[in-house]
Amino acid sequence: MQGNNGNITFIRDGVRLDGRRVDELRPIKIEVGVLSRADGSCYMEMGDNKVVAAVYGPREVHPRHLQEVSRAIVRYRYNMASFSVEERRRPGPDRRSYELSKVSREALEPVILTSYFPRSVIDIFVEVLQADAGTRTAGINAASVALADAGIPMKGLITSCAAGKVDGQVVLDPMKEEDNFGQADLPIAITPWGDITLIQMDGDLSRDEFRQAVELARIGCGKIYEIQRKALLDRYCQMESAAQEA
Amino acid sequence: MSEMTNGCMVLPGDRVGSVEEYVPGQETYVRSGFIYASTTGTVEVDPETRSARVVPISNAPPRLEQGDIVVGEVVDMKESLVILSLAFKKGYEYRPLPDEEATIHISNVKNSYVKDLRQMFSLRDIIKARIVDDRQMRLTTGEDDLGVIKAYCSRCMTGLQRKESRLECPSCKHSETRKLSASYGLGVV
Repeated sequence: MQGNNGNITFIRDGVRLDGRRVDELRPIKIEVGVLSRADGSCYMEMGDNKVVAAVYGPREVHPRHLQEVSRAIVRYRYNMASFSVEERRRPGPDRRSYELSKVSREALEPVILTSYFPRSVIDIFVEVLQADAGTRTAGINAASVALADAGIPMKGLITSCAAGKVDGQVVLDPMKEEDNFGQADLPIAITPWGDITLIQMDGDLSRDEFRQAVELARIGCGKIYEIQRKALLDRYCQMESAAQEA
Repeated sequence: MSEMTNGCMVLPGDRVGSVEEYVPGQETYVRSGFIYASTTGTVEVDPETRSARVVPISNAPPRLEQGDIVVGEVVDMKESLVILSLAFKKGYEYRPLPDEEATIHISNVKNSYVKDLRQMFSLRDIIKARIVDDRQMRLTTGEDDLGVIKAYCSRCMTGLQRKESRLECPSCKHSETRKLSASYGLGVV
C-alpha cells in the first residue's frame, strides 16, 4: 500500500480502471487435476493472477518429530515464482511468504478432518506464476479445490476473496493498481456456512466501511464458491462419462 | 436445500440428510442435526440399516477394509508375531499409506502348522497379505499368492532368488526358507 498520490482516479461513473463495477469480480477460471503426480491439483486464474495448487497426502511425516499422534498435520507452502511480478523477485521463502503460508494454512485447517489420519501429513503447495494483487485468496481457493480433488475428507470448501477501498469507496476484489495505490485491502476466507477462517487488513477502514467490506467480500466468496463447485462437478462428470464409455 | 437421494453427486459440505432420518455412514459428518458429505462422491442409502454414506469418486485416500490385499515390510519379529509397516493397498499403488502398522500371527501364516516363525519370515522382507481384521489390523498369508514377494540374504543383504521352494543368495550361495508368494520376485502385486 503506497498511498494515493492524488493523480489517479480509480472510479469514474461507477466503473473501475479495468471496466468493472465496484461489486464485480475479475474473471475466474479453474482447472481441476492438472498435475498427474500430485494426489490432487488445481490451476486457477483470478483476473491476471495465475496459481497452481498441489496436494499430497495423507502421507508419512518427515521429519518425524513433527507428527501428531491424534491427527494429521497440515503444511502449506506459498511460493511466488521469480517471474511472477514486474521486477524479478529473489527466489525462495521470505518474511511475506512465511506469513501467507501460515495464515493460509490456518484458513484451510478448520475444515480438514485431520483426526482421520493420525501421524500423517497433508502437504499443500501453492505456486504463484503470475501475481496481480490477491494471490493469497487465489492460492486458498485453488488449494481448497485441490484438497477436494485429492479426496481428503473435509467439512466443506473454503472460499476466499478480498475487498478494498479506493477513492473512499469499498470495492470487491481489488487488482494491482487498486491494491498498490488504494486506501485499504481486506482479504477474507469463509466456510460454506459463513464462518470466517481468515481475515486480514491492510490500510484503514472505518467501522462502517469495515462491515461493508466484509459483507461485499462475503458476496464475492459466494460467487467464487459456485465456480469452485462447478469446476469440481464438471471434472467428475467428465470422468464418469469417460468411465462409462470405456 | 432439498435432501439428496440415492446416486446423487455431492461435494464436501453438501447436505446428505438429517440424523433423524439416516445413520451417518462413511465419508459423512454431522453438524447441528444434519448429515453432510466430507468428500466428493455419490450418495448411497442402505435401505435396511437406513445409513447414508458417500462413495468417493475422486482419488480418495484408500480405506483399509477386511479382505483387502496390502503390501508391507517386516519391521519387527516376536515369538509368534510379525509386525509389518504397510506401504500400500493393492490397486492404490500410487497412494502410500501413512504410518500404518499391521501384524501377522503365527496361526495365520500358512494353512498348515508352523513351528518356527523365523523359517517363514525375516526382518526387511516385503510381504503381500490379506486383511482379516481391519480394526486390529491383523493379516493373513494363508493363500498361495500371499507371502514374501521380496527377501534379502541374512548374511550379505543381496536380493534372494527363487530356487524351487527355497531362496538362494546369488552372491554368497546361502540358502533360506520363507513363506513364499506365487509372485515372488516378479515385481507385480
